[in-house]
Amino acid sequence: MIELNRRTFLKGAGASSATCALASLLPGSLAALENKQLKGIGKDIASICEMCSTRCPISARVIEGKNVFISGNKAAKSFGGKVCARGGAGHSLLYDPQRIVKPLKRVGERGEGKWAEISWDEAYQLIAVNLNKIKKEHGPEAVAFSSKSGSQEKHLFHLATAFGSPNTFTHASTCPGGYEIAAKAIFGTKVKRDLSNSKYIINFGHNLYEGINMSETRGMMAAQMDKGAKLVVFEPRFSVVADKADEWYAIRPGTDVAVALALCHVLIEDNLYDKAFVTRYVEGFEAFAAEVKAYTPEWAETISDVPAKDIRRIAHEYAAKAPHAVVDFGHRATFTTEEFEMRRALYAANVLIGNIERKGGIYIGQKPGDYNKLAGEAVAPVLAKPGVKDMPKPAAKRIDQVEEQYAMMWTSGGVYQTILDATLSAVPYQLHGWVMSRTNPMQTMTDRARVVEALKKLDFIAVCDVYISETAAYADVILPESTYLERDEEIADKSGKNPAYYVRQRVVETLGDTKPSWQIFKDVGVAMGLGEFYPWENMETLQMLQVNRDTDLLRRIKNEGFVSFGKPIMLCEPKMVAEFIKAYPNARPADEDGTYASALTFKTPSGKIELTSAKVEAMAPGRGVIKFREVNLKKADELYFIQGKVAVHTNGATHNVPMLANLMSDNAVWVHPVTAGKLGISNGDPIRLTSSVGTEEGHALVTPGIRQDTVFAYMGFGSKNKELVRATGKGIHCGNLLPHVTAPVCGMTVHTTGVTLAKR
Amino acid sequence: MNKRYVMVHDENKCIGCQACNVACRSENGVPEGVTRLQVRVEGPFGEMPNLHFKYHRVSCQQCEDAPCVKVCPTGAAYVGEDGIISIHTDKCVGCMYCVAACPYKVRFMNPETKAADKCNFCKDSRLARGEEPACVTVCPTDALVFGDANDPRSEVAIMLNTKITYQDKPHLGTKPRVYRVPTKRGGI
Repeated sequence: MIELNRRTFLKGAGASSATCALASLLPGSLAALENKQLKGIGKDIASICEMCSTRCPISARVIEGKNVFISGNKAAKSFGGKVCARGGAGHSLLYDPQRIVKPLKRVGERGEGKWAEISWDEAYQLIAVNLNKIKKEHGPEAVAFSSKSGSQEKHLFHLATAFGSPNTFTHASTCPGGYEIAAKAIFGTKVKRDLSNSKYIINFGHNLYEGINMSETRGMMAAQMDKGAKLVVFEPRFSVVADKADEWYAIRPGTDVAVALALCHVLIEDNLYDKAFVTRYVEGFEAFAAEVKAYTPEWAETISDVPAKDIRRIAHEYAAKAPHAVVDFGHRATFTTEEFEMRRALYAANVLIGNIERKGGIYIGQKPGDYNKLAGEAVAPVLAKPGVKDMPKPAAKRIDQVEEQYAMMWTSGGVYQTILDATLSAVPYQLHGWVMSRTNPMQTMTDRARVVEALKKLDFIAVCDVYISETAAYADVILPESTYLERDEEIADKSGKNPAYYVRQRVVETLGDTKPSWQIFKDVGVAMGLGEFYPWENMETLQMLQVNRDTDLLRRIKNEGFVSFGKPIMLCEPKMVAEFIKAYPNARPADEDGTYASALTFKTPSGKIELTSAKVEAMAPGRGVIKFREVNLKKADELYFIQGKVAVHTNGATHNVPMLANLMSDNAVWVHPVTAGKLGISNGDPIRLTSSVGTEEGHALVTPGIRQDTVFAYMGFGSKNKELVRATGKGIHCGNLLPHVTAPVCGMTVHTTGVTLAKR
Repeated sequence: MNKRYVMVHDENKCIGCQACNVACRSENGVPEGVTRLQVRVEGPFGEMPNLHFKYHRVSCQQCEDAPCVKVCPTGAAYVGEDGIISIHTDKCVGCMYCVAACPYKVRFMNPETKAADKCNFCKDSRLARGEEPACVTVCPTDALVFGDANDPRSEVAIMLNTKITYQDKPHLGTKPRVYRVPTKRGGI
């Protein structure tokens, strides 16, 4: 029997008396909960995590209506029933006294931190009046809408479309957009990596052991430790993934593309590539081969500091494990303006060994409809997409449609930072309003001062969040969203090698006066006179529409939380295809070689894998062929400034969550002992970093785990608004040091710059 | 005592992510400022490029010959029938002898209960319900294995028989029941 004292629990969650006192000064925050004994064995409710954007399936234990323990949902096999520190700390966010639980209205200057509690009706009226005024005076396109991806995005963007604005943005261009756009150019679609079955993994600083993505993290660890896969890591910093690697190379920041191209060079010149695969599936190989002829390992060594003989050897080892080998195409950080070429070069190294739809390589995945077609029967239910017919088509162009080269990004979340250009320089036209949901551009966009300037210039800003984030601090109205543990949302597709669905559902009753974002943006829509675009009542009606009123299916998904259908399949794996055909008598017959290779098609203009792309050439002349271009990331006397993820925090979102703030609230700057010695800096010394756009003060962590010409800090720290009590003023604010630079084609913000380091 | 509960921490698989730390706090209501369990990522040690971190689990070692039990004047620190070293909170007078005697420095005074506190393999909560300790339940990379070493078919027994393991400060004769699989890079 578990016996938990309510107050003990709250304190355990990190609400010290000092922070409580401060929190009580914050209007609209969650008041201290009553002292109540918790007894008895809890029940477990399946749901979906929201502490980062991986959205792992979770199981939350609730005792007498209070959530006390979160683990993974065992029904989701590749997630192993596991949860990371952030996921495990979800209840610490739920019961955080500093969480906002009443709508707030700004009463001082923007960013001054003076707030008044208001009712939801008042908040909706404020938003309706202000947005409709902007619409009347400047057109609906003068309001931008940006959101965290997921359910929030759907509902906010629905509102934007109903309102008439084309300007909708996710955080893609500040995070994962680079590899997505490169995949679109080459494969016509996003792809996944099958790390768990890989025998040889080449990793360019994709730090899966600190930036945890549960199924991939587990997959890579199992491949390495249980199945003997070799891991080679190229990264300027000795990260945890570098530590776990069989080989680690402290590559010069931003030169990954040179090593990737040299790997391709060796694969082609030494005849190690899969000629049959290339002939059958690849468009533009000759042009690519001609280009990489010059990119020898010796050439790459002079640029990257990675020894040529090692590049050569690694290429041979990698090819020897083909096709069950992979070059990881990475995740967040955009190291240079050559992001698009870098990610394409990484994909090219995969394509050359023909690892597409092979175990341990890269795969496209099976959505329910396609899977059923292959199986010749309805193995997985296909969910309906509830929508509204005859949604108005926004008349204006998007603000990021200035340059054609970003065309692929317009439909992949948009070039987020163009909101600043449109606000500050009226390019291509003047923005007047910004509505945000669970997004924190003050942390995630570059050049913080420019973000502040834009926020100060706009006529109206509304922000939906769970905290007064650094961005929310500049809002006119803050709409408090319920945490994910208090929300029901649509059923989501989580298909991998076979179809799967899962659902977020409320674990506890809503605390305080918060609402789920679907409700908030529906209510805002109705208040603005757009009620006709909301024919559905609530989330239950939406879920019911999704399952085509199949209540048994809905009940099953809710009870199990994660439901997968059918057998896993990779189109070019003969054994998997044989088992698939055995399971489904009406399945598509196998090709002569026992695979479904003939079913492998690509949504590119040529229908093939485009190593060279006419479409990209038309969008961005000179970029059709993957090519190396020199970049200048820093001045000669500066140090490279790079960032990365830490396992206990999520980018710009979790730094005020009590349990996580207690684990880590500061980001010391990694400095090499020789670099530190020259500047008279000892471990723990106060230091100052200065870049072309900002200055940040923090502390030095003197460590051999970094190149001499580089400094490193975990991103997301150093918030500057007083409302984020546990996070404010602690550590280096990375966005304040990074200049505003946009990478070609993919439209990404760039995450490397030059800084000078000084003792203070 | 027919059970011999042991914990194996595989330092090759551990990534120092603190999922165990958070799960332990959640399950056991560990107050802010004190900890029953953490993994210290120490280092890097060595010379470029042959560096390595050490992932050091810091928690009660569940000694078979436990100094804390020996020094406790009131019987608050005790060995249960299952062999697990626990604390009778009501019997603790807060003398802190046990805190001083613990060679692993993992006992602390709980600021809420004012009694000594430390890891007990989730004995009263998860173990009593037939579940694994919180840290083992959530570990993202399966670096923790828990079970009865007296059961030859248990995963821990198989691990102890097939992998090189070491214990912390074995020379003190405390016979810790937390075993560690050393990293292939760092050695012991």
